[in-house]
Amino acid sequence: MEFSNIEVLQLPDISKLTFKRIHTDYLKVISLTITIIFSALFIVVFLLETNVEEIGMFPYIKHSYFLLIFLFLSLLTAFGIGFSRRKYVLRDKDVTYKSGVLFKKTTTVPFSRIQHVELDEAPVSRIFSLASIRVFTAGDSSDDLVIKGIKKEEALKIKEFINQQING
Amino acid sequence: MVENSVFADFSKQSPKGILVIYGRLLLKVFKATWILLIIFIQRFSELSEEVFSYIYIGIAIFFVFLLIRAYLIYKNFLFKIEDGQFILKEGILKKKNTSISFDRIQNINFKQNLIQQLINVYEVSIETAGSKDTEIAIKALTYEKAQALKTALSQVDKRTEEVQAALQKPLLKIGFKALLKVSLTENHLQNLLIFVAVVFGLLQQLNEVFTGIGNEDVLGNYTAVNPEDIFNSILIFVILVLILLIIGVLSSFVRVLLFHFNLTLFVKNKSFDITQGLLTKKSIILSTGKVQSITVSTNPIKKKLGISFVTFKQAVSGKVKKQQHKLIRIVGCKIEQIRTIKELLYVDETIDNETRYVPNAYYVLRMYFVVSVMFVVLNGIILFLLKDAIWLWGNLLAIPLAILLIQLKYKKAFYQFNKEVLLVGKGRIETHLTYLPFFKIQNINMKQTIFQKRRNVVNLVLQTASGKITIPCVEENRAITLYNYILYKVESNKESWM
Repeated sequence: MEFSNIEVLQLPDISKLTFKRIHTDYLKVISLTITIIFSALFIVVFLLETNVEEIGMFPYIKHSYFLLIFLFLSLLTAFGIGFSRRKYVLRDKDVTYKSGVLFKKTTTVPFSRIQHVELDEAPVSRIFSLASIRVFTAGDSSDDLVIKGIKKEEALKIKEFINQQING
Repeated sequence: MVENSVFADFSKQSPKGILVIYGRLLLKVFKATWILLIIFIQRFSELSEEVFSYIYIGIAIFFVFLLIRAYLIYKNFLFKIEDGQFILKEGILKKKNTSISFDRIQNINFKQNLIQQLINVYEVSIETAGSKDTEIAIKALTYEKAQALKTALSQVDKRTEEVQAALQKPLLKIGFKALLKVSLTENHLQNLLIFVAVVFGLLQQLNEVFTGIGNEDVLGNYTAVNPEDIFNSILIFVILVLILLIIGVLSSFVRVLLFHFNLTLFVKNKSFDITQGLLTKKSIILSTGKVQSITVSTNPIKKKLGISFVTFKQAVSGKVKKQQHKLIRIVGCKIEQIRTIKELLYVDETIDNETRYVPNAYYVLRMYFVVSVMFVVLNGIILFLLKDAIWLWGNLLAIPLAILLIQLKYKKAFYQFNKEVLLVGKGRIETHLTYLPFFKIQNINMKQTIFQKRRNVVNLVLQTASGKITIPCVEENRAITLYNYILYKVESNKESWM
């Protein structure tokens, strides 16, 4: 290895950073969204059950309630556990986000490679005045960085900070 | 700015451009209606004289209409250069104005399709990075004018370029014989598959037309051939394999010839000037700064002959679909030529002698696991569907092949790096070596599944403007060191990544 170990030791270490958790209200946003989706599904199943005359077409319709409940609960738990893993940190020259329980993922985007920053507020998030920060690079957008669930004032500050770093 | 004066006012394309545009319109119409034409020709006998004359008049009017349209397109296509901007006006009824500033121009390419080669005009396309819809093609320019436009747009000092061009020999020139050698050592299986895919697509289209006309029993009869003699079936099998082999070799040959005929590579002013192609002759100026990474690939036979092919990857704009378009491949490179190319891209030759890191053993274990599951499922399906255990003998052939491919893939996967450049190796039968200067990296990912967590390994995914590069199953502490180092390199770099 050509570059000396001393040099490596002096580099800022991504694994020794104190990451910041996203706002706890975002857990409510997730739960609410899941609840809304599943309520809709329940209504669909209910309508099917009561209105479709020929039960023979859907012999297992009673089972689907249990399936829905099971899915609902397991999704809630999965997001609940995963929630505490969603963390981010801003440094002078880059922004890092990590998440995931079964599939852990850490992404770092250096400010010097950011094309633009977006701040968006989804309908449910807006109730809790939360926002998402999305940064775009010239790379494949599937691996660009998104931090969901930051208080809007803070998100604005972060956006401003990143913008300054890009232009500065 | 004497050179630019030619383009100070709006200028049109060469009048021959009408022909080129006309040809394109005709081709477009033909592509949309060829199936209808076939049906029409089949029904010839059913039509009366009178109907015929109407049809002929209709077609004639249509052709004249297209010609007028081509003329109008030509007449309304105007371009000029003003204040460091390329300005283009086009459109017959819907007018469109495009202006591109010089610094956003990524490439200026020359192209010649068959018509353009015959009437000796050049198509100049101007590629820009960034937004998705900003590629401009000027269909027909004389060579002098095309050159003048290129010079004006690329802001290169004209005199030095001319001197250089006169003095320089091409770095790489592939004659017909060398091309033959290249095509014989191609990946024939891949080319066969491409060929089959193309033929299948055509057949599918034809089939849709002919079902109902009553020709489908041709295929039916064919599959009904049922040789009872084992010897016969083996013979048929061997002949089939031979035919496929020949088709494979032929299709490699045609493909290589079509894309790489008369390949020449010049090096000028920190850029590559690549010309190649038979029916469509393409000339590409590729500035070294805009190349994101290069991949040097070879296979066992090519290695024996000492040749490999090089793929240049440039920044992709917006759409992923265009990715293929932005890959520039040159074939038949010798070792010295590759060295020169690497030097131009600041890839230090020492990189090949650095410590080689191989993936963790988990990498090969996972592959074995996935393939085993696949085998079990596949065998299950075969047993279930065919209800005949004799097919399971196929495993005798498939299992050793799978093991061989997995072992090869594991053996060829590695990474090594020096201060500036990362080298990632992969491949099974072919060997691909990708050289990526650290500062071209856009963002960096560390991914770890729960199984990888137990073994303390991660996948590193490096995003560049021309696609991602994955280093699989790196030991976690080593990955973090590399992660930190790459961030340091990217953030401390002052050079522009394109």
